[in-house]
Amino acid sequence: MVQNHHRGCHRQDHHGTVGENKEKRPKFFINDHVDILIEILKRLDCRSLCVAASVCRLWCTIARYDSLWENLCFRHVSPPPSSVRSVVLALGGYKRLYMGCVRPVRSRLGRIRKASWARDEVQLSLSLFCVDYYERLGGGGNSNGRLVGESSPSSLRFLCKPVNV
Amino acid sequence: MSLHDSASSAAGSSSGSSSSLSSSKPPPSSLQQDIVRHLAGAGYTIRSSDLPQVAQRLERLETAMGSSPADFFQLASDAILYNPSDLASWVDSLLSEFTQLPTCCFEFILAPVDNAWTTAELHEPRVQQNITYEQQSLDRQLTVVTAMEEDSDIRLVHKLMACAECVQRGDFSSATSLIDDMQGLLARVNTVCGIRKVAGHFIDALSRRIFLGIGGGSVDGCGSAFENEILYHHFYEACPYLKFAHFTANQAILEAFDGHDCVHVVDVNLMHGLQWPALIQALALRPGGPPLLRLTGIGSPSPDGRDSLREIGSRLAVLARSVNVRFAFRGVAASRLEDVKPWMLQVNPKEAVAVNSIMQLHCLLISDPTLNSPIETVLNWIRDLNPKILTVVEQEANHNQLDFLDRFTEALYYYSRMFDSLEACRVQPEKALAEIYIQKEIRNVVSCEGSARVERHEPLAKWRRRLSGAGFMSLPLGSNAFKQASMLLTLFSAEGYSVQENDGCLSLGWHSRPLIAASAWQAMPEPGSCVSCLE
Repeated sequence: MVQNHHRGCHRQDHHGTVGENKEKRPKFFINDHVDILIEILKRLDCRSLCVAASVCRLWCTIARYDSLWENLCFRHVSPPPSSVRSVVLALGGYKRLYMGCVRPVRSRLGRIRKASWARDEVQLSLSLFCVDYYERLGGGGNSNGRLVGESSPSSLRFLCKPVNV
Repeated sequence: MSLHDSASSAAGSSSGSSSSLSSSKPPPSSLQQDIVRHLAGAGYTIRSSDLPQVAQRLERLETAMGSSPADFFQLASDAILYNPSDLASWVDSLLSEFTQLPTCCFEFILAPVDNAWTTAELHEPRVQQNITYEQQSLDRQLTVVTAMEEDSDIRLVHKLMACAECVQRGDFSSATSLIDDMQGLLARVNTVCGIRKVAGHFIDALSRRIFLGIGGGSVDGCGSAFENEILYHHFYEACPYLKFAHFTANQAILEAFDGHDCVHVVDVNLMHGLQWPALIQALALRPGGPPLLRLTGIGSPSPDGRDSLREIGSRLAVLARSVNVRFAFRGVAASRLEDVKPWMLQVNPKEAVAVNSIMQLHCLLISDPTLNSPIETVLNWIRDLNPKILTVVEQEANHNQLDFLDRFTEALYYYSRMFDSLEACRVQPEKALAEIYIQKEIRNVVSCEGSARVERHEPLAKWRRRLSGAGFMSLPLGSNAFKQASMLLTLFSAEGYSVQENDGCLSLGWHSRPLIAASAWQAMPEPGSCVSCLE
């Protein structure tokens, strides 16, 4: 069990560094307090969140919660109306939206970032995300090979290539 | 060369007089000032006190060039381009390069240039000749430095024009020989970049016109509709033109539908329906909730009996269902747009109608006096639908002129710009297929006539006149559309795209030459019609 193993390590470390009078103090172990963990992870940026996902299985599961990615998407924008959530979840979820659209859009528009564009960036990302979803619908569900060679949706490929800034 | 002559004649009279030149600096004569002014007019800056030295050094350069041509060419090919507008320093730097080369000793001709110029009898023409001598030597050096490539580009373009002219005159034999020349030229140079790539396609189109005749395009005709759709799809991905068209039209339609609960979109050519997911999503998220959306897609019937319109419709319906938008789709299969009648579209009088045409209207511009003009028929039935908005996106080019040579020239420059913009695309299979898509257009513009020629692009100004004449008035596209278009362009990794606003219409261009223009129109209310019809 991962948690016990961690606990064991933790205790050993503590032994070695501090001293015997510390043994009686109750230990705070973050994995016992998942809600605090979520609050902390909610504030991370994308890269740190991905790094956090490789710490342990619990963190990995939490890092996959869509609400964390929702925060990332709307970080610099005032919170959107609640209808947005159902739409995004229907189209594939916030993580996919962020990784596929919001992140490349933000990084490319970043060099001429205007404060008023933040909301529009998200809207543009949503539209592109929707086109991508539509293509994914076509590739998977369509058995008569209508779009030959379109096995993977490619409308977002222009976002994937490195930008010559 | 006059300067040389005057120098050699004067060399005898005063020899070894470099010291005399540097010691006495007479005030610049009016002649020298003239020369400086002429040179400034040509773009070169030089002080009048430097004139004698520069003239001397140019002579030395010319001698050096003459004596060691091989070295010079080697120098030229790896030369850094000095700034030629500052004549004095440029000549000095070139000369210093030369003196590093092991050239054979050259005559240092001490031309007491001052004297030569002031003692000239017909000094007016000589001044001109002096200037042209200096300019010519400069030009010569400049063109060699930028090498053979530009030269062959220019030759290629000239040959293309000459060939088109022969074709127009009906002189097919000289046209054929020109084509052979050009193909030889192309084989020798790198066809990867610049005008050469496009030139290859134009040469191909010209030879089709000559050998297959003007209906020749119809041999492979529309290709198969299936192939066309694939090419269209790759064109959509490789460059922003279609994305710009879709997003701009969607924004305009979204704004026009504001406040309506029943909306109906008529798409004049459905293709893959890639435009509509974004509109469905935007309607789903609009404040006040989504309306009931009906989409009627017009398309050509598929040859092998598959109902492609229905497939696209059901995909869009699945999408609409996932985002909770009430949606209904109807497909109208028609091989020609003018065959569509308003009753086929089943428009409900209470709903707001939008008609969307992305690069379709130009196919109707065939001007056959025996037929009812197709464009008028179509614009009439569109007008009869009383649309809230008609979005028109067309190529911004003038490829419908009667004169073949004019059309050819326009097309050459338009498509070379388009190919340039495609160079920036890094997404590989898409780029090659997008080029084939454009190549088909080129073929159609150049090698077909009559009903076979469907790519009859006209510029925005003509469309404005045509649409105003048909009872539509212009609807300005608004700043949101402009903002969205600018953002979209920034996402593409090429630096040369630009959006321009032109009297309410947006155009996307490459290096500020517009290539595609989007505009929005609404039906002009009939004078004297009843109030209920205005809504």
